[in-house]
Amino acid sequence: MMSPSGYDRPFVMYTPDGRLLQVEYAAEAVKYGSPVVAIRGKDFAVTVTRTKDPDPLIDPIEKIHMIDDNVGAAGAGFTGDIHVLIDQARIEAQRHRIVFEDPIDVKSIVDHLGQFMYQFTRYGGVRPLGAALIVVGSDRAGQHLYQLDPRGLMVSGKALAIGKNSEEATDVLRAGYRSDLTIREALDLAMKALSKAEDSDSPVEVGIAAGTTFKKMGLEDALRIYVK
Amino acid sequence: MTTIVGLRCSDGVVLASDRRASKGGMIGSKAVKKIYPLDGNKAVAIAGQLSDANYLINLVKAEAKLMEFNRGFPLTVKEAAKLLANILYSGMRSYAPFITEMLVAGVDETGAQLFEADISGAVTDEGFTSSGSGSPMAYGVLEASYKSGMPTAEGANIATKAVKAAMERDPGSGNGVEVLTITKKGMEWLNLGGAQ
Repeated sequence: MMSPSGYDRPFVMYTPDGRLLQVEYAAEAVKYGSPVVAIRGKDFAVTVTRTKDPDPLIDPIEKIHMIDDNVGAAGAGFTGDIHVLIDQARIEAQRHRIVFEDPIDVKSIVDHLGQFMYQFTRYGGVRPLGAALIVVGSDRAGQHLYQLDPRGLMVSGKALAIGKNSEEATDVLRAGYRSDLTIREALDLAMKALSKAEDSDSPVEVGIAAGTTFKKMGLEDALRIYVK
Repeated sequence: MTTIVGLRCSDGVVLASDRRASKGGMIGSKAVKKIYPLDGNKAVAIAGQLSDANYLINLVKAEAKLMEFNRGFPLTVKEAAKLLANILYSGMRSYAPFITEMLVAGVDETGAQLFEADISGAVTDEGFTSSGSGSPMAYGVLEASYKSGMPTAEGANIATKAVKAAMERDPGSGNGVEVLTITKKGMEWLNLGGAQ
């Protein structure tokens, strides 16, 4: 990281070479977050992440969050910031249901969250959210996989990783990705990428978007359902 | 206009309604829905202004879903009824009341539950109840036949009879009966007569 040199004190101020250091610091905070890996196949999208803390006295922490029956999300970064985003997404999903009496599409949720995060890069007195999000879901147009970062940048992709060592995880994804992956193959590849990013034995949470729904489960259950 | 009835039974609850929507002296619709699920184990039957009722149902469904996601388990039937009633009450207190009356019924860990919420936001816990212009006729059947602790199969029969009796004598009710039974096993819909 570049040395601060004074331009990172005010909340919103460009450096002479046109950067917003507070926003970059927020992106840096994400790199300390526990990794999340996601893959989109032909007619599905999966995401995997580890629940924090192998401490036997602490219950596993929920990492994949239901946004609505058809969308889920997992974050990396400050837990509080992630929860603010999850809350926003859930409210937006229900607002859509109130107005249209139909479930929301995945892109509308991601758009809303992107706008929300972007606002924190423009105003004084606020701090950009130190969180990135993987959003996975199903809608009338099929299955979707998006990634959001503290800049408010939204990326749609086939195989994405956020959090600690996301570059290493992405290398694994790049080497192993094929457009004709089955759900099981995608789970195996995602787990390989996740293990590359973080050496841990805490339980794995899996989110699977298929058909018209998004479902959350433990890795054991997912592997039992998707044998091949 | 409308006839809706609700019965609390030993193993579940029953909601039943007619299918007619009135527009002045005309029949506005012959296949209107008056029973709406809130989630997998609870539903409401509505009487009065359809638009107000639809708006309230959407609002309660959204709030209930958000609460369920946040706390990890669904609302009880009583919580759903109170949530609905709070909105009705605030409507009345701000001189813009929701012109509707609703029966909230369902099965949760406390058993079978039936509540009625009116335009003022009052909630009452009922064994059996009816609302709408056909309710005087429906009550005749219910008062004679309802027994607390009866099984839902029998309750569904009585509910159907009550709505049918109202359809015979109330010009605001007609065009078939819809019955919803909710037990621990889930929801079961029944359509009797009328358009599809």
